[in-house]
Amino acid sequence: MQRYFQFSILSMVFTYLLIFIGGLVRVSGAGMGCPDWPRCFGRWIPPTSLSQLPDYIDPEKFNLVLAWVEYLNRLFGALVGFIILITFVLGYLHFKQSKRVLLSISIAFFLTLLEGWVGAKLVDTVLDPITITIHLLLALIIIGLIIYSSIQSYYLIVGNFEKSSNYHPHLKNVIIGILVCLFIEIIIGTEIRGGLDMSRKDNPLIESIILLKMLGPFKYIHTILGFSLLGLTLYLRKIVYDIKFRSSPFMINSVNFIMILIVTQILLGESLVFFDVKPLMQLFHMWFSSLLIGLAVSVFTFWKISLEP
Amino acid sequence: MIKKSYIISLVTIISFLGISATWVISKANDSIHELPAIIKKVPNFSMTSHTGTPFNQDSLKNKISILDFIFTSCPGPCPIMSTNMRTLYKQYKLHPNLQFISISVDPEYDTQDVLKLYADANGVNDERWKFLRTDMESVKKLNKEGFMFMSESLPAGHSVKFVLIDEEGNIRQYYNGTDKGSISILRNHINSFLKTFSENV
Repeated sequence: MQRYFQFSILSMVFTYLLIFIGGLVRVSGAGMGCPDWPRCFGRWIPPTSLSQLPDYIDPEKFNLVLAWVEYLNRLFGALVGFIILITFVLGYLHFKQSKRVLLSISIAFFLTLLEGWVGAKLVDTVLDPITITIHLLLALIIIGLIIYSSIQSYYLIVGNFEKSSNYHPHLKNVIIGILVCLFIEIIIGTEIRGGLDMSRKDNPLIESIILLKMLGPFKYIHTILGFSLLGLTLYLRKIVYDIKFRSSPFMINSVNFIMILIVTQILLGESLVFFDVKPLMQLFHMWFSSLLIGLAVSVFTFWKISLEP
Repeated sequence: MIKKSYIISLVTIISFLGISATWVISKANDSIHELPAIIKKVPNFSMTSHTGTPFNQDSLKNKISILDFIFTSCPGPCPIMSTNMRTLYKQYKLHPNLQFISISVDPEYDTQDVLKLYADANGVNDERWKFLRTDMESVKKLNKEGFMFMSESLPAGHSVKFVLIDEEGNIRQYYNGTDKGSISILRNHINSFLKTFSENV
């Protein structure tokens, strides 16, 4: 059982790293670094020179750096898939009785396989924008399920660590509201990113910051929803700190961390608009949103466990 | 105390990720914008455009050119090539330093009038995209010796490649004119060329 918990944590850490690497592929423009799948230019180890290219692939597509960035994502993806597989097997061995642990890790595992397939489709469709969004959303659902399963297993191992806590009746709705807003916010974010790519194609050599200003309503909705999330989180923090209720340190730390991240996200997002669209900032903006999903799922799970006897 | 070590490790991890990502992004960016090396010079040639103006190797000077070989009655890949060329033509409307050249490999059928109709059908309304013709012998020669394509079975057996030519008339790279992935690489190279070109002028 202990082993399961350790592996679920490992799955979580590696999935987060993978989301980061996936974002890196996106911002560095390496998505088509390998024009075929699963191999790269027909090889299991990407080619190092033009002479190693097979005849059926156009040689102009070869870029050593991009091929390796993309291939790193695939190799790491395979590794993460393997770790999640082990976690899933351990879950099956030790948590047959617990639907919460087993079901969530099973779904996570099957979605991981699906995620690999979507990755292949991305290459097939030459980075179709909707497929890119699905690729990210699936990763977020997977990380959410892994975290849920991990905390639930921890509860079964150490006993009810939320036993002495009780929470404000609004907490459930607030955290679900935050999760829903986060998902909508992320989808709008991918739309902005995709729109920026599109208008960059139609207006080559024009500064990204000017293109972003041309994008219109999506950007404002993104900002407004961002501030709404800040409001919701402030309320969440207020009810978690309310002295009429007792919150666990897990809950308090998670909520504070959400708070810090939301503020960071707003600052990052606005600096993208007011200064410049820097790839590194885009990457962290995306990655922090995945951390937020994980933390919001954690808060939800702590609350759920606090209801248990 | 625990909290402090948490924050320190978090900051360390994020800095590490940030530094590695910066390195990768800059490497990738350099590699994307690296200009392809000179393959060879386009030899001398002489043709007439769909508007009746003469066009020769000197017309390639001081412009970045994208060139392909097509024929207007072609049922196969040419419509896709021309659609892709048209998309680029529209996207780069603000860049007069970039010209598009389509050379007919079926000059007998593709008279100047036919080429003019084909240009109209592709929405060509300025000097940036030219449809060229000359006699069959010269086209074959240019196709084969100038651009190193097969020319035995012209017109049907023409290449589907787009050729990128720099401002001094050198061939810099070939791209698959029917492939989305190749075209997007072409777009990156056009951008780098236009940037260096405008910096030099």
